[in-house]
Amino acid sequence: MQIRTKRFAGVLGGAAALALIAGCAGGTTPPAATTAPTATDTPAASAPAAEAVTIEYIHRLPDGEGMTKVAELADEWNKANPDIQVTTTKFDGKAADLVTKIEADVAAGTAACLAQAGYAEVPSLFTKGLVEDVTAEAEKYKANYSDGAYTLMTVGGKAVGLPQDGGPLVYYYNKAEFDRLGLTVPTNLDEFKATAKTAADQGKFIAAFQPDEAQYWLSAQAAAAGGTWYSAENDQWKVDADGEASQTVAAFWQEMIDAKTVAVHNRWEDGFKGALNDQSLIGTIGAAWEAPLLVGDMADSPNVGQWAVAQLPAYGDTAMTGPDGGSGVVVLKGCEHPAEAMKFNDWFNTQIDGLVSQGLVVAAKGSMTTPEDVKAFYGGQDVFAELAKANEALNPNFPYIPTFPAIGGNMAEAADNAGQGSGKVADVFTAAQDASVKSLQDAGLPVAG
Amino acid sequence: MATKTTTKQQGWGRQRRHEALTGWMFLLPFVILFGLSFLAPILVSIRSSLFRMLPSGGGLYGGGGLVETFVGTANFEQVLQLPALWQGLGRVILFGLFQIPIMIGLALTLALLLDSAVVRRPTFFRLGFFLPFAIPGMVAALLWTYIYSPRLSPINQVLEPLGAGIDFFSPNMILFSMANMTTWTFAGYNMLIFLAALQAIPRELYEAARIDGASEWKIVTQIKIPMVAPAAMLAILLSIIGTIQLFNEPTVLATVNPWMGTSFTPMMLAYNAATGQAVPSGSGPASAVSIVMAVFAGVLAAGYALIQRRLTR
Repeated sequence: MQIRTKRFAGVLGGAAALALIAGCAGGTTPPAATTAPTATDTPAASAPAAEAVTIEYIHRLPDGEGMTKVAELADEWNKANPDIQVTTTKFDGKAADLVTKIEADVAAGTAACLAQAGYAEVPSLFTKGLVEDVTAEAEKYKANYSDGAYTLMTVGGKAVGLPQDGGPLVYYYNKAEFDRLGLTVPTNLDEFKATAKTAADQGKFIAAFQPDEAQYWLSAQAAAAGGTWYSAENDQWKVDADGEASQTVAAFWQEMIDAKTVAVHNRWEDGFKGALNDQSLIGTIGAAWEAPLLVGDMADSPNVGQWAVAQLPAYGDTAMTGPDGGSGVVVLKGCEHPAEAMKFNDWFNTQIDGLVSQGLVVAAKGSMTTPEDVKAFYGGQDVFAELAKANEALNPNFPYIPTFPAIGGNMAEAADNAGQGSGKVADVFTAAQDASVKSLQDAGLPVAG
Repeated sequence: MATKTTTKQQGWGRQRRHEALTGWMFLLPFVILFGLSFLAPILVSIRSSLFRMLPSGGGLYGGGGLVETFVGTANFEQVLQLPALWQGLGRVILFGLFQIPIMIGLALTLALLLDSAVVRRPTFFRLGFFLPFAIPGMVAALLWTYIYSPRLSPINQVLEPLGAGIDFFSPNMILFSMANMTTWTFAGYNMLIFLAALQAIPRELYEAARIDGASEWKIVTQIKIPMVAPAAMLAILLSIIGTIQLFNEPTVLATVNPWMGTSFTPMMLAYNAATGQAVPSGSGPASAVSIVMAVFAGVLAAGYALIQRRLTR
């Protein structure tokens, strides 16, 4: 209950931050952020040498109860590295708000050195001139990360930071309920539709269509179906957001929505959580980072111990999944000590246990240990091993355009209409195609057609 | 003689200059604040509406930076051709057409009640009616979203057993839901405007009317309401401008209603354009939207004032 309310409040709180800075359209007042300096209690005697550099790192990690806090990790680093002192700031707002803050801070010359950025935002940050090219530094640490994730932190071959976590889509389901209803985990779309029907006949839904998450959730499914939305052709962007792969995804959901064999819930609204808790919703297609969130959503309910994680059903001939979120840490424009910043960046993003405690499927190589509470919820399953497997199965070819953040609103709008029956799921992809082309043209970037 | 006059004139001049300076010194705090908080943002907006941030180089990702480029009236041409702008404008006009009369009527009724002898503790009620206005708009919008939310709505918990649940978030209801929020917030504020006007009416008028045998109702309709007409005009003008700027309520509601999109009202479009979450993106088009809406609000307000003046003549 509490966590759901917090999430909901988080979404709304983000909106509040939005509105506060909306005084004038050209305004650039950054939203408030809570600062947690981490090197405050250093007495003069043991103070770092005069030439110590200070690196500021602004992030949006949850820092929840029972997690290893970002500030704690930074403290650990600060003790071992007196000449590179790191201060961390947790930003309490939506991703888009952080970008707005970064824009304002870079313009004012007061930006932090390191900032969290979603993979889909990285090209946009580069085009806007908000990140440093740190290819030379990044190359040193490249071997520590999976290739796919490392590539997502590069723009046109230039590295701008290091990857942190991945968000491959997986399938979460209530195993106890599946067993009771005689269902097996579907491994392809036809099986999924058939299973959804069998479950629906018995009053249960094995998935929910989530309009508010349309942009990442549906684009990731198009990627899982083997699609590539954006590619380069003759030095121009070629946009294929409503192509064959997207149509596969559209037809899949449309059929189930029409047959009323799936539920329709916004991911971040009460309805979704309510349906999980009253066990009318017994499965969901979600990103890897949702694993601990679902634990929170269903805490203290009969669901504890009943759930399990499986790979996404195959959307096409080859079984693969798509990226729904995931972020890295970029070096912001104007950072005076990029080499030192990258040194911390690499250290921080290889603190696998600490990052796993924050609910991240880390991009760094190495084995992840499933935290006890997560394990208990998923019936003793080694959840992070399953998530890591999904991370390996990501569609390797799904880059984003610099204007990707601009197309989300149109997609969510179309998806909500599709969910309510006043539109079609295919319209979501038409909206994506249209908004992608228009936003690129509008931004003065080369686009074909 | 001549020299004397000159010195006297010079003396006068010095004193006058001194007085003028003192006057300006008194004005200075106002001038500075007015300039900084009012003129400067407008000038920055106007300037920004004539520019556009374009990539510094070619290639798929631009040149890794943006250059401010003068584009003349291109931003205005673009936003004026945006269907989203006109649709948003249509929504706020529709909203204003039914919300403003209801709110003003309610405010006037409350003010008349408080001004009459009917109410025992006018101070208590005056404060009570005004209190919603003291709650920050965003906070109020969040509270209402919880009250409307299908799962949590206390209203529906009462209505649903009676088979009369209301879907506050449906496309047909959303304008009403927002109107309810703004009415709740601003009725008390407008009531204060009316109350001030009512209390400025000389009491002798009522006495004279009573001696002539007028009923209390007659006093309300024949004296009080005509006497507060100028206040009503002010209240309606402020409401028109506020409606054009409708932002808090739709922004908060859109977080749980994706179908509302990024341009439900023109001010939402301006905001989302400024933060790169809508097409067109950037401060140039965003400023252009703001200025178009400011001009529109100005025209609307001036038009209303003219018509009002004609009618009262």
